[in-house]
Amino acid sequence: MGVTQALRQGSVEDAVDGVVPPVVAVPERPEELAQVLAAATLDKQLTVLRGGASKLGWGRPPDRVDLVITTEKLNALVAHRHGDMTVTAQAGMPLTRLNGLLAEHGQHLPVESAFANATVGGIVATNDAGPMRYRFGTPRDLLIGVTLAMTDGRLVNAGGTVVKNVAGYDLGKLVSSSHGTLAAIVDVTFKLLPVPHASKTLVATYADGKALAHDVAVLHGSQVEFTAFDISLSDQGRSLLLMRMASSPAATDAQASQARQLVSSAPTMVSGEEERALWDEQIRAPWSEAGTVVRFSWLPSNLAAVFSLFDRVRANGCRVAMFTGRTSGAGFVRFDGEDSVVAGAIGVLRSSEHVGHVVVVRASRRLKEQVDVWGPATGASEVARLLKRKFDPAGILNAGRGPI
Amino acid sequence: MDPRIVKLFKKAIGSESVLTDPVQLVTYECDALPHLRSQPELVLLPQSAADVQAIVRICDTEGVPFVARGHGTGLSGGALPVPGGVIITLAKLNRVLDVDIPNQRVTVEPGVTNLEITRQVAPFGYYYAPDPSSQQVCSIGGNVAENSGGAHCLKYGFTVHHILAVEAVLPNGELVQIGSSLPDAPGPDVLGLVVGSEGTLAIVTKAVVRILRKPESVQTLLAAFDSISAAGSAVSDIISAGIVPAAVEMMDAVAIEAAEAAVHPNFPSADTILIVELDGPSAEVAELFAIVESTCQKSGATRVEIAQDEAQRSRIWKGRKAAFAAMGRISPNYYVQDGVVPRTKLPEVLGRIRLLEKREGLRIGNVFHAGDGNLHPLICYDERIEGQSALAEKVAGEILIYCVEAGGSITGEHGVGADKREFMPRMFSEDSLDVMQSVRDALDPKRLCNPGKVLPTPRLCGEVPGPYREHPVERAGLGERF
Repeated sequence: MGVTQALRQGSVEDAVDGVVPPVVAVPERPEELAQVLAAATLDKQLTVLRGGASKLGWGRPPDRVDLVITTEKLNALVAHRHGDMTVTAQAGMPLTRLNGLLAEHGQHLPVESAFANATVGGIVATNDAGPMRYRFGTPRDLLIGVTLAMTDGRLVNAGGTVVKNVAGYDLGKLVSSSHGTLAAIVDVTFKLLPVPHASKTLVATYADGKALAHDVAVLHGSQVEFTAFDISLSDQGRSLLLMRMASSPAATDAQASQARQLVSSAPTMVSGEEERALWDEQIRAPWSEAGTVVRFSWLPSNLAAVFSLFDRVRANGCRVAMFTGRTSGAGFVRFDGEDSVVAGAIGVLRSSEHVGHVVVVRASRRLKEQVDVWGPATGASEVARLLKRKFDPAGILNAGRGPI
Repeated sequence: MDPRIVKLFKKAIGSESVLTDPVQLVTYECDALPHLRSQPELVLLPQSAADVQAIVRICDTEGVPFVARGHGTGLSGGALPVPGGVIITLAKLNRVLDVDIPNQRVTVEPGVTNLEITRQVAPFGYYYAPDPSSQQVCSIGGNVAENSGGAHCLKYGFTVHHILAVEAVLPNGELVQIGSSLPDAPGPDVLGLVVGSEGTLAIVTKAVVRILRKPESVQTLLAAFDSISAAGSAVSDIISAGIVPAAVEMMDAVAIEAAEAAVHPNFPSADTILIVELDGPSAEVAELFAIVESTCQKSGATRVEIAQDEAQRSRIWKGRKAAFAAMGRISPNYYVQDGVVPRTKLPEVLGRIRLLEKREGLRIGNVFHAGDGNLHPLICYDERIEGQSALAEKVAGEILIYCVEAGGSITGEHGVGADKREFMPRMFSEDSLDVMQSVRDALDPKRLCNPGKVLPTPRLCGEVPGPYREHPVERAGLGERF
């Protein structure tokens, strides 16, 4: 029986938000994964799907977890069709390893994660993306096909391996950001982009948010095509704009000088190793120290209002330790303080008309019990719940933890 | 239809918005795939989302199938009426509700045309990227339903990449907001599912679309080649050089001949022509365009013409875009097929199509989006010759099988609709199709929302890709097929 061989006893390392699962399934083949899911459905085992475990704490705290299914052994590169600029990899393939393999042919999946262990299945399930989403979108925008293991044990496909394809329902989109609530992702196919020949980043420093927000608006209206265009605000009050241009060498330089003229402060330029380190730090900054991390979004024109919200949060005694985000309106903020104070800060964000989708992604269990990590439901979640009933009728997948 | 139900509709949205006159109904018998026809029982013209809701509620209660329709430019029979059912045409929901330049978004009703969005934002230096060739007349609601592409989707993606949110009426009559102008809504990407669901999951009553800043520079060239393989190797070399063109289009000798006869774009006589367009920051375009040009030369281009101004660029595109309709100049009838192959398989599949042409004795022209492997073979035949219609139909179907065998798709942009549902099992397993059906049943348990589209049903007469007939829209010169 392939299924029993795929199981082991859970340990502290497998804990989901402090709850140790009695059993961990480590399937080596897609069919095994599907069988484990079917068996879990029959026994109504509350199941958590795990990739690199880098975002395993995202979600409401569980009361019970019966089974964790990990894709750690479903991590193969299925095919890199470099001539077609597409790749298919099993869900457990780490994103960094995939990009290492793609680089051999001068290609990449232009998605960054703050987490070294992040897998390709995990970035789809959470729609995890970094600064390059400014140009290339999030994993859902690059995903062209999926294989899913359904809770009844069937393996199904949607999309395909070609970049242009409108046949059938796009189940790949549906599982994007589903946080393991609908089906297990077995493999994913992405369209790829060429690694640019040159890259440079301008860094502009601002003493106040207003001037920064003004420059963001000006640059958004310009014809400079940034690969990434980020904000960073530390609690020392220093705010930065990071503008990355990546293209051919001459075009990168030309765009950099164009951007430089539009910025009100005198920016510095970084490239090479220094540039890589700068972006690494930018991506990891919200997570690099202890504290509550909240993901939220805003309309670009409301950026100054976001800064004002932080002022209110600070006035209430909560430390706004770090804020990084894309100028297109998606970011992470790290709050520091007593749980009740941080809960108040989350309340400030949630009650503001200037921001939305305020999701608590890292917090103590106590805080998670005080505030709903996902926030209020949307119209789409009504529809998603209808689909959930079809996909997971026993209600085992990320039960009580996920957004639906 | 039961007069009692007709009365219900009239009471709900007003008698003037309910068409029953058979003469008026004729317009709605088909979309731009005119060989699939069916008379609707009623055509309803809602003026608001509330009207759409009222209609769908009646359909839900009374068990009446309904089909939403935009401006009828679809190429897969997605808006084909259903026997015993009603057509809900969204043409009167045609207001642009909000233009928000600082946040680069526009909110429109579904009956607004694709090009109208660009018209609204062009004065500010913006545009709406998806550009199906029917963009002058096709509706945003239809674009959302079909996940429409266009020549420039190689670089800019499809409709799904440009829709931020929709308001939609579910098959039970409920009005919901799906998606948000703000990114990162937690939970499954329902918006991504609804876009491209071909009107089978919901009726969109409002859409928030993303607009883009116009690129600083656009450069277009046309290169002539002696063989399709030489042109193909030029495309491969351009892509391998790390260049992502805005568009890469190819036409073979048959298509060139037809375009020349119809709109005289002054294309060089050649076995194959390649059109490559780059856009973006001026410095980038200038640098990369030189590489594209030399790559074409190195691959054996017999001639390279660079558009020196907007007029020359328009002439090149006019020739390309006219290719479908132009086939009428060289053949009494023809099928337009839409299939996709991995780009590297283009030579192999085109070779198979050439053999098929020889074997079956029907001329086949090829026009395609070479950058993304989206083929549009044009199968020429004469319906007056007995057996040729059936043969052309068989040939069109066989090409789709080649596409699937090469690892591709049965449709890149025209949709499955009523036209290709029987080919779906060639791409997807029974289990996969069954799960897709369960998605549909979750939202439409009574199976009233555009039934008989997308997913296969037992085969009926006439469910085959059809011959090309000029659509009234094309006849009026308002749009061309791609």
